[in-house]
Amino acid sequence: MSEKLRESLSAMMDDEANELELERVLSKIDQDDALREAWSRYHGARDVLAGQPAGFGNIDISRSVSAALAAEQSSGRGRWQRMMRPVASFAVAASVTATVVLGGQQLAQLSEGGGSAVPTVASNASPVGFINSTGARPLQASMGYSSAVPALSPATRTAYSELARQRMTEYSQEHAEQAALNSPQGLIPFARVPEITE
Amino acid sequence: MMSFARFSLTSATARLWRAGVLAMSAVIAGPALAAACLEAEPEAMEWLRKMSHSAHAVSYRGVVTFQRGDDMQVMQIAHSVEDGSASESMTRLTGQGAQVLRVDHPLECIHPGHKLLQLGIDRESGACGIAEHYRIEVGDGERIAGRDAVRITIQPRDVYRYGYVMELDSETALLLKVTTLDKGARVLERFQFADLSYEQREHTAAPVDTVHMADHPAPSPPSVESNSGDGWELKWLPRGFMATDSPAGTDDRRTYTDGLAVFSVFLEPLRGKIKPGEGMARQGSTTSYTRGMTLGGAPVLVTVIGEVPVNTARMVADSVSRLQ
Repeated sequence: MSEKLRESLSAMMDDEANELELERVLSKIDQDDALREAWSRYHGARDVLAGQPAGFGNIDISRSVSAALAAEQSSGRGRWQRMMRPVASFAVAASVTATVVLGGQQLAQLSEGGGSAVPTVASNASPVGFINSTGARPLQASMGYSSAVPALSPATRTAYSELARQRMTEYSQEHAEQAALNSPQGLIPFARVPEITE
Repeated sequence: MMSFARFSLTSATARLWRAGVLAMSAVIAGPALAAACLEAEPEAMEWLRKMSHSAHAVSYRGVVTFQRGDDMQVMQIAHSVEDGSASESMTRLTGQGAQVLRVDHPLECIHPGHKLLQLGIDRESGACGIAEHYRIEVGDGERIAGRDAVRITIQPRDVYRYGYVMELDSETALLLKVTTLDKGARVLERFQFADLSYEQREHTAAPVDTVHMADHPAPSPPSVESNSGDGWELKWLPRGFMATDSPAGTDDRRTYTDGLAVFSVFLEPLRGKIKPGEGMARQGSTTSYTRGMTLGGAPVLVTVIGEVPVNTARMVADSVSRLQ
């Protein structure tokens, strides 16, 4: 684990990580054993400092999530199943950035996710469930059809940006199929698809 | 006004009738729309119609570059027409070794986006297709891939779409280059032919690992009924956008086009609660806007993806409602 990664991880633990640092850690946590160990260690230390019973830090959440993801990927390829993948990795993101919401019980639930029990937003632990302290503000240019978007905390904003980015990747081919038939450029819209799949 | 001259009624009746019609059209279309159609250039509209036709009916092959910011991709494009149907391919020459194929696409199969492009100006009905939403001008073009081009400058009349500068082959009207611009005239994306040939010679085939057969949804309007019984609708669409053809039973995605811009709305039901919020990502001219919300008591994630400004995507997402 590089010094840079360690610093990023530390910033996360203090809820001070910026988007770049968050991404740096997330992109590595799958492959870097040292990083995962450090994450567990920092976590335990922090829980003790915060007066919570230590222990969750020993649950290797990212590894079990990875295992669940691998199992899911090999089992089904339906749309919703595919969609669970980004949500699940997103849940990892949320649990790393902030233990604020994903408390002990949810962590334990997540860590139980062997095989089919893929941890998702469905586990009642919202991946973007950070505390909204500033209350709601009306959406600019809102047409008033649905409820206003609440003002988002920086962590929630990061989380939602990540969702939008993942959805862009996930849906781009299906959108390109339609764009190719309904805009003047022929098959060129497929050039916008990051990874064309069969 | 001229379109009413053909009525040979008594002058008093004609005046009354005309006043009525004008009042009605003001209610339906608004004065801005009428003005838009009056100033629409027939020549520009004819070029767009020919461009749409050529996109299907002309055989060509060539190399295309596609730029977004610092990123540039190079692709091989081939389009051949035989016995009334077209086959086309796009092969990536940089990055991923992938190819997209569409075979035997009947020439008479015109999808909604191209129908809009081919509408032209109908002075009698007062409709003028995409000229109602864009200001379209013809000018002298550049030389692209060794061909002389005609330039079509397309500026949006409202804030819901981007602008385009298109270069069409002056002989065949084939689209040779498109630059997409935002309202600050910043370039978001550009594609252009680097090499083009109208001969039917074979390219040296670039080896690929992935071949995708492009979808061809049956040309039928999307079904209103949903399989699951929890249908949804958009309460608002930017003017001039219409639904594209979707296979029956598609209820988690809908796509809309105004002939030039396309966006898709995806609805994902969630099994658990989500904090309401919004996020967006952009790449080139593509916007992805994701919104966590409650629809008829059920938590959903709505995502709008398309080549439209963020505000358009946001307003569309905002108007998603449970079908009454």
